[in-house]
Amino acid sequence: MKYAWIIACREFTENARTKGFWIGLFLFPAILFLSIQVPVFLQKKAMPTRHFLMVDQSESLAPVISAHLDNLHQKRVLQELIEHARSGLMDPGRSELLRTFSNTDPRALELFRTQGGKTAFLEKLKPGLKPGTPEFVEPKPIFQMMSLPSDVPSQGDLAVISEKLRPYLKGDKKLNHQGQKRDLHAAILVPKNYSGAVLRPGAAMDPGQPQSGIEYWSKNLADTKLREEMEKAVNAEIRRTEYLARGMDSAQVLKIEQTRLLVTSLNPSKQQGDEKVNSGDVMKQWAPTAMVYVLWIAVFSIIQMLLNNTVEEKSNRIVEVLLSSVTPNELMLGKLLGIGAVGLTMIGSWIVALFAILSWVPGAGQIGPRILDIARTSPLLPAFVIYFFLGYFMYAALILALGSLCNTIKDAQNYMGVILMILMVPIFTMTFIPRDPNGAVASFLSWIPLWTPFIMLNRINADPPLFDLVGTMILLLLSVAGFLWLSARVFRHGVLRTGQPPRIMELFRLLTKSSKG
Amino acid sequence: MNPNSNSEPVIVLENVDKYFGEFHAVQKLNLRVLPGTVYGFLGPNGAGKTTTLRMILDIFKPTSGRISILGHSSALKVRHRIGYLPEEKGLYKKMKAWSIIAYFGMLKGMPRNQARQRAYELLERYGLKDFSEKTTEALSKGMGQKVQILAAIVHDPDLVILDEPFSGLDPVNQEVMEGIISDLVSRKKTVLFSTHIMQHAERLCDRLLLIARGRALFDGTLPEARKLLPRRLLLETVDDASAVASMPGVISFQAAEKDDGSNQVPRWEIGLREDADSQRILEECLVRNIRLQGFHQLNPTLHEVFVRLVGSEAKKAGFR
Repeated sequence: MKYAWIIACREFTENARTKGFWIGLFLFPAILFLSIQVPVFLQKKAMPTRHFLMVDQSESLAPVISAHLDNLHQKRVLQELIEHARSGLMDPGRSELLRTFSNTDPRALELFRTQGGKTAFLEKLKPGLKPGTPEFVEPKPIFQMMSLPSDVPSQGDLAVISEKLRPYLKGDKKLNHQGQKRDLHAAILVPKNYSGAVLRPGAAMDPGQPQSGIEYWSKNLADTKLREEMEKAVNAEIRRTEYLARGMDSAQVLKIEQTRLLVTSLNPSKQQGDEKVNSGDVMKQWAPTAMVYVLWIAVFSIIQMLLNNTVEEKSNRIVEVLLSSVTPNELMLGKLLGIGAVGLTMIGSWIVALFAILSWVPGAGQIGPRILDIARTSPLLPAFVIYFFLGYFMYAALILALGSLCNTIKDAQNYMGVILMILMVPIFTMTFIPRDPNGAVASFLSWIPLWTPFIMLNRINADPPLFDLVGTMILLLLSVAGFLWLSARVFRHGVLRTGQPPRIMELFRLLTKSSKG
Repeated sequence: MNPNSNSEPVIVLENVDKYFGEFHAVQKLNLRVLPGTVYGFLGPNGAGKTTTLRMILDIFKPTSGRISILGHSSALKVRHRIGYLPEEKGLYKKMKAWSIIAYFGMLKGMPRNQARQRAYELLERYGLKDFSEKTTEALSKGMGQKVQILAAIVHDPDLVILDEPFSGLDPVNQEVMEGIISDLVSRKKTVLFSTHIMQHAERLCDRLLLIARGRALFDGTLPEARKLLPRRLLLETVDDASAVASMPGVISFQAAEKDDGSNQVPRWEIGLREDADSQRILEECLVRNIRLQGFHQLNPTLHEVFVRLVGSEAKKAGFR
């Protein structure tokens, strides 16, 4: 064991010095950090303001669309104000302001507007702010309505108007906005009489009415947000006028439309009285999937490292000197432990980085404590560590046997393809398992030792049956022992072998003949 | 050199056989290496030298037979007393010279600090002090091989096993290697090395084992090896020397190969019985008016002994 330990220490220190290790160490946290920060940055800073213009010959829809877009903007302002309050308040947990506005109830926005909007919010916020809190910066509006250029008429045939707008829409001409040139993103043309284009369920089209509805002109087909929001606003208005036409009170209808029946999700697995499902519970169900992914990346990257290392030692014949000092089993154990420790260090740093990022990075502040809570209250982390070691030892045994038979990395990569295919199954089923964690497919896959670590980890928060939990663990332990035993035999015979890797029958002979050999 | 025939042998092989599948790599091999001796293990490529060394080191198990090393059945039990340099030399590319030597020292049971200190000492002693902190990939091939031999002797082993230690070395480094072996011998260490370069064996070995196709063909000292070939004389004369063939003690008479070209005098090689008197042959030549321009006693070289013993196998293997 002393010599296996010396080998393990060397494997660890030498691998920990490689660029690959450090890249691996920082790549995952960097990707995680960027995956949170980049969308936030794009949303806040890089989202362009879309300049559009509207020709409303009906003189009824423009104010509706404009009000809807303004509402959207105010919603963003409120969200930003809440973020600003969370980061700036001395005691955000006790803030009445945050309690009132940080919920998804549409009435929160209405309240915000009626109570005086941004100005009133900031006034109320001011006394509770920490000294030195930066000034609130209102986000730029996503949509900006522009006035019609002087060379484009607002009345007359829409075809003529659109023809006049074409150079602006194509970017050949620019709009003038507060002395700056702006690209026209889209033009919304509303005909004088659009009622003929209103589609009513069950009603035939009126052949006497023109059927042209609203024209939405834009060369940008990817960004459809303006069109979608405009449609929402217009359709809401159309329905309102329909209610009026049928003698209904539209205000009452609106209220009725907002009526909701409360549906509560309850989980029978939770403690009595606390069965209500919250977002933390949902995260708890999905957290294993994320851990399965981390486990997969960890196992895959470490076995790659092990393969390269074994083939290197074999190809440059260092292994012969090593075997004059240690037994093949000591050598194998040392490599398994040393490179396993490299992997564990990498995963440990990832988990620390995960919590650090989720706790400290703006935009992820609420998730961090919840994940920490999941880690503390569910068996996820201990299960992860156990399944990591068992999964690692099983695949590492395969890789060591493989590496000992190959003289070059090229030879080894051919066989690695087969192992990669086996490893793809947990990835393919990764998102399916949490939806039916104790179903037939999940149970069946759990009993296949090569997949047990991944599938069982994915099921761990869904209270799998004890029989599955214990049975698959016993089978996995036996399989790991079996794989290590077989691998040790192949390793002993293969590691000093030269020439082509053995064929299947030869391999079988290696495995079945006595240890004298 | 300090052979001590009264001591217990360091290595004993008794009727050792090794099969790889159907291939009989080593056949009924017997060997006794005494402490303080330099033992040469000679044979053409594929003779079974490396396999035998690996069996001695317990890297391979013999199929049958008994191996004892420093009084133990497995080399791993006395790993701290054995140093090994394999034929195919390789090092971890990213490790520094001192750390790789220290690492192998630790694998031989040395404490970390002692291994480190000894690594620096050896690098200094063998002229590599300035390269101690360089990674092995930055060293020249010769330096790398030197580092590897230092890694094999870092723990001051009693027995050093070297598999083809001179292969791939330039003449300067071959001399360095000879120096290291001589140094080990002067400190009463036992050295077993395999080679197919006869000059090294002639210069360094107390005893030799010739092996071909897995079988021992000769085991003994250099003088004993030379006795395997008849004594020879080389005569140079312009006269008819055919009468020499019938002189007493002469067993063969044939024209010798010409030398490098400067000497045009015909040369004759005469084989003698072991009890023949070369002075008598000289007298007979004078009596028979054979005017001699040269009369030399020839000692058989190891090369000749092995060519004779191994025959075409040796020629194919390129003995020199």
